[in-house]
This record gives sequence, structure tokens and C-alpha cells, in this order.
Amino acid sequence: MGGAALLALALGIPAAAVRLSDLPDEDAPSDRQRSLLREVSQLVIPRTDTPGAGDVGTGDFLALALAHGLSGSRAPVASAAMPNLMRHLRPDGSLRHVDWLEHELDRRAGGDFLAPKADRVRALTALDAEAYAQGADDHPWRTIKTLVLTGYYTSEAGGSRELRYELVPGRWDPDLPATPQTRAFSSDWTAVDFG
Amino acid sequence: MRYDAIVVGSGITGGWAAKELTEAGLTVLMIERGREIRHQQDYTTETKAPWDLPFRGLGDAELYRQQYPVQMLNRHFTEFTQGHFVNDAENPYTTEGDTAFTWFRSYQLGGRSLTWGRQTYRWSDYDFGANLRDGHGTDWPIRYADLAPWYDKVEEFIGVSGTAEGLKQLPDGRFQPGMALNAVESHVRETVRARWPERCLTIGRTANLTQAKPEEGRGPCQYRSICARGCSYGAYFSTQSSTLPAARKTGRLTVITDAVVEGLDYDATTRRVTGVRWIETKTKTRRRATSRIVFLNAGAFNSVHILLNSANEAAPQGLANSSGVLGTHIMDHANTLSALALMPGWEGHTSFGNRPTGAIVARYRNMDTMDGAGHSRGYSFQGGAFQTTWSAGRRDAGIGADYKEKLRHPGMWRMVLVGFADCVPRAANRLTLDRARTDTNGLPVLNVQFAFGKEEHAALAQAKADAAEMLAAAGGQVIAGSDQPGPGGTAIHEMGGARMGHDPKTSVLNRWSQAHDAANLFVTDGAQMSSSACQNPSLTYMALTARACDAAVSMLRDGRI
Repeated sequence: MGGAALLALALGIPAAAVRLSDLPDEDAPSDRQRSLLREVSQLVIPRTDTPGAGDVGTGDFLALALAHGLSGSRAPVASAAMPNLMRHLRPDGSLRHVDWLEHELDRRAGGDFLAPKADRVRALTALDAEAYAQGADDHPWRTIKTLVLTGYYTSEAGGSRELRYELVPGRWDPDLPATPQTRAFSSDWTAVDFG
Repeated sequence: MRYDAIVVGSGITGGWAAKELTEAGLTVLMIERGREIRHQQDYTTETKAPWDLPFRGLGDAELYRQQYPVQMLNRHFTEFTQGHFVNDAENPYTTEGDTAFTWFRSYQLGGRSLTWGRQTYRWSDYDFGANLRDGHGTDWPIRYADLAPWYDKVEEFIGVSGTAEGLKQLPDGRFQPGMALNAVESHVRETVRARWPERCLTIGRTANLTQAKPEEGRGPCQYRSICARGCSYGAYFSTQSSTLPAARKTGRLTVITDAVVEGLDYDATTRRVTGVRWIETKTKTRRRATSRIVFLNAGAFNSVHILLNSANEAAPQGLANSSGVLGTHIMDHANTLSALALMPGWEGHTSFGNRPTGAIVARYRNMDTMDGAGHSRGYSFQGGAFQTTWSAGRRDAGIGADYKEKLRHPGMWRMVLVGFADCVPRAANRLTLDRARTDTNGLPVLNVQFAFGKEEHAALAQAKADAAEMLAAAGGQVIAGSDQPGPGGTAIHEMGGARMGHDPKTSVLNRWSQAHDAANLFVTDGAQMSSSACQNPSLTYMALTARACDAAVSMLRDGRI
């Protein structure tokens, strides 16, 4: 049994969800990168009364998703706009998001994002603010954050405990009262598609 | 092997041809190029959750880029449904010059009836009279009255939910109760109606049952809105849920799958099709069968492909092509997101269930007053109002518990109107065989030459302005809108190529969908269309198929063919 399968067992998530062992070496994350992706996922969606994104394997999903180009993550990047991306490009012009993120967060944390004393929330919040500033639409952090959301809200905990999941609604109620407590449905496919 | 009839294709019209012909007492061979998919048993992803799939329902984008570069552009193409679409790498086609054409295909038993959008609309005499009125294309040899009883028959059998509105341009049908508009859509309907009485927003007329049809083993819609995975309830019309069981019940149907039709044989002396030749794709073995009549239902472009590839000494330009127009005048609706608006003020409302249809705004231009700006036909809208969910979070800054809390609840209401404009038939938009390239079966691939013209661009420009003013009038904040059509094929309403017409010199088929050049050959899929209208065409294909079957059976009984 490979490392990925062991990890899946440990986390209690379906093995189908994790296939890191199938990735080519150049896209396989290092152990440190896996820790970093898990931590970043957990910072975006922390544990509250439901699990956080890191808790449910979103870090490894990120590595898989970024290697396989989900959410456009293997499209060639316009590196002229962000010269600091240059060193992390693949020969086809796409960005090695994991390498970039590791470098970027280490830099912002003064050397080691995963160090016990590092202010990780501050570093990631600053990166997030830059990525969502006016005119930063193509920022690679947006792609990564999009995939954190995907990884979490399509996990069983994110999809059916944090949100509601109803495969067979059985009826259509066109107009119901909503309150600030109303929970969204992860199984509202139209909303997921067009949201 | 000899049959009374051979039906090529098992999709929306092939299923209807098989049903009607077997029920009339004929023995029928149905030939499907793709694999078998059994109702209920083979809908392998139907009940899966995203977390059951390796790529969580999004699919392997790298695989798609390499193997499914066209199909992946279809909104209904996902990790759940990829098995219901063709592999583009294995099923190539070419395009001519600057042509951009996305050809969405489903090669399998049931064809695109498994993946269609299920929107079901009658055409009107504004549509059947369009070519005669503005001079584009050739006049349809039929009018609404010819088709009305066949619309009735098809609607009653397939089950169509919808709301009667009494519109001349979008005639009412034999409807099951329509699904309800949500709160925002109801508000937009009333606002628009008050200000523009000729503009009718109504619920999409859809081939999803709101009432069971127990006599056919079909249950009502469960409001999952995952139709393209296949529906074990049989709640939407597909070949598998509806026409195939009916045809099989007669005991007169033979179905062959994994068999791609190469061509038809033709006897120039009798002016009859004398046989159908196909290749078993698994063994590459050639087979042949004969029949008294042949129905081509391979899908508009593939039916044309078969006719072009059936050229012989007597028909050097292709079978049924003495006119030379075979392959020409292909169409697809010009299609774009005309407007997207935020709809503030509805935060106190939500809904339950996933309604498998949107709302529409029926055509209102160029009917009794020619009020189109730079175009002479119609456009309509499809869309609806919805609340966002977690995926909207990608647009927002933030991390942490507050961010998570915000995504826990439905987001702001939005409303979209997607424009569908009538596509003018043009001779230059055409299909040919690309003799330089063959597919895995050794058949020449299809070449598509297609461009929209000034009429479609003018219509979408007016549609964009109209959509924005309607949503704004209802309190919406318009944040996006386009007047540029997607590539041809985007609407998945590709049609024409073997058009119907009065004159054998300028058309391929007569008023019975029957080839002018071969009396026992009928083409009843989208290829027969002489104009495109601006509403979805599948119901019209089905009604024309049922009508052609009735005519063919009468001709057989009379000894005319």
C-alpha cells in the first residue's frame, strides 16, 4: 500500500479522492509541501463546529488538482504581469503553483511559514488581500483558494455537514422564507455551476 | 438480413422512428454507432456524491484537455457525465478556414436524448413562414397546421410540463402542470409584463414529468437536476425511458450497437435505396442489410455525412444530392449570456429542490411588426434566478472563520438571461467530407464551414440591450452581458444540411421528410430543417419524425414505395 492510500485510511476519506502516488515526480509534493498545503487549507476554512479544510484532506486534493489542471491551473500564465512567477514556470508556461506558494509564503513569513513562531494568519491574509486587490484577477492565489473551496465543499464533511446535501429532494418548493441561519445546499448544482 | 425498415441512429428521433414503425407493424433494425447503455442498470454515476469521485465531479482537466477538448466546453460535461459524451481525440472532425465550431456529441444508445437540455417548444407559423417572408433560404413546404396534431401526439407520449400562455409565437401544447417560478422570477415576470405586455416570461417547457406515467413505468421528477447522468426514475424523456421500451414491446425491434453506418446503396434504375452498410467498430467487420424503407436519424451532421459518403456513379455528389444543396445551409442558434444581474432585496426568500428547467422569455420581435434592429427574425431568452453557494467564495477576499461562516448560507440572488437568436440559413455554411483525413474506421471525417453573419450579430446586440432593461426594470443590477455569439455549435442545435423544400432542384427532402431522389429514404433528424427559429428544435424533430413514419407506412401500404 502506497503512502497516499495509507493517508486516506488515516483520514477516513475514500481512497478515490487521493491519487498522489500517480503524479509524475515533478508534480508530486514534498512532505513539507503537503504539510504546507494542509495548513493553508485549514487557514482558509478552519475547524469550527465542523471540520476544517485541512482536516478533510484538502491539502492533498490541492496537490492533485493543481497537477491535473483543475480550475485552469495548467494554463500558461501571463508572467509579464508578475515577474516573480518566472522561476516557477513549467516548460509549457504553466505555473507550478505549489512551488510558488511555498516560496511566497516562506518569504512573507520571514523564512519559514511552517515555523512554530511564524504568524501564518498574517502572512496568508496579506497574500489574500493582494490577490483580491483591484486588477489582480489572474493572481495565482485566487486559483489556489478556488481549489481549497472545491476540495472542502465537495468533501463529505464540507458538503454534507457544513452545508446541506440532498441527492433526492423529491419536491420543488419555489418560495420559502430564509433567515440568516438558513444553510446552503452543496447539492444545488446550478448554484455551484453559476455561482 | 432483410427488414421492413432500417433506422440509423437511436437518439431523440431514431427512438421515435423505431417506436412508430414497429407499432405500425413493421419489422425494424435500429443501428447505433456507440455502445449500449441500459436504462437504470448502466447509469453508473447517478447516485454518486462528489466525494465518491477522484476529481470531485470536476473531472481530470488534463485528460479533458487532451481527449475531450471540445466536449469539455459543454456545461453538462462533468466527471459524472463524461461517459455520455464522445472522446474528441477518437472522433475527429475538421473545420474550414476561420471556422470555430464546437460539435457536442454523444455516441451511445440513446444518443443525446440522455444528455439533452429537455427544453420542448412548438414552432409557429412565424417560424415556418420565415424563409418565405424575408427571402433567406428556401420556403418550408409545411406550416404549423401540418404539424399540430403530431405535436399533440409527441407531447402526450413523452410528457411535457409547462404553462399555457396563449402565445401565437409559442403555441401551447398538451402540458402536464408546469413547474413553478421562484419568487424572483415571478417578480420579474410581473414587472416585465406590466411594462412590455408583449414580453412573456414563463417557466421552461420541459420533458421532465410533474406527474407519473405509470403505464410506461415512468415516475415523476425528483428535483435532483442531475438528468445527464441518466435518470432511473425515467422522469425525463430519453430513448431509454420512453420510445425504446415502447418499440421493444412490439417484439418487432432489433437493435445493433457499436455499428457505424458507412453508406447506403442506391439503385438508379428504381430510384430506391437498396441497402445499408455498416462497420462493426469492435471487430472492424463490414455488414449489410436490406429493407423496404430507410430512416436516417444519425443526428443532423452525421446523417449528412452518410449521404455524402454514399456517393456512387449514379449519384457522384452524394446520395439524394441531385440538387447539389446537400450539406449546405447548416445552422445553429447564435447564443450568448445577454445579461447577468444581481437581484438585491430578496434575501428573505429561498427555495428547496433543484428544478431541472429555467425560465424563458418567448420571442417578441419581428412578429406582426418588423421591429428588429438590423435583423428580420426572432430571439428568445432562457435563464432564471438562483442563489449562489460556496463557489461564489472564489470571488471574495478573506480567510478564516468569518469567511467560512459567510459561505455557510445561500448567497445573493442573481438572474441570468441567455439569448438564443434565429440563425439565417446560408449556402456558405456547409458540411463536406475531408478526404485528406480518415477516422479510426477508415471513413473520411466531416469538415465544417460555419460563420454567423450580420443578422445574428444584430439580433444579439438588441437582445443584450433588452435583457439589461428587463432585469434593471425589476430592480436588478446588471453586472455582465454579451452580444457576441459563442462558436457555432454552442447552442447544441446544429441543424440543416438536407433541407426540406418544394423543389427537387433546390432541396433534398420533400414535405414528408422524404428524399426527392429516393422515395424510400426519409431523413427526420435535424438535417431536414430549412430554418432554425429561435426556440429549441427537438420537439419539432420528433413531430416531423412521427409524421414521416405515418406517411411512409401509408405509402408502403398503398404500394407507392
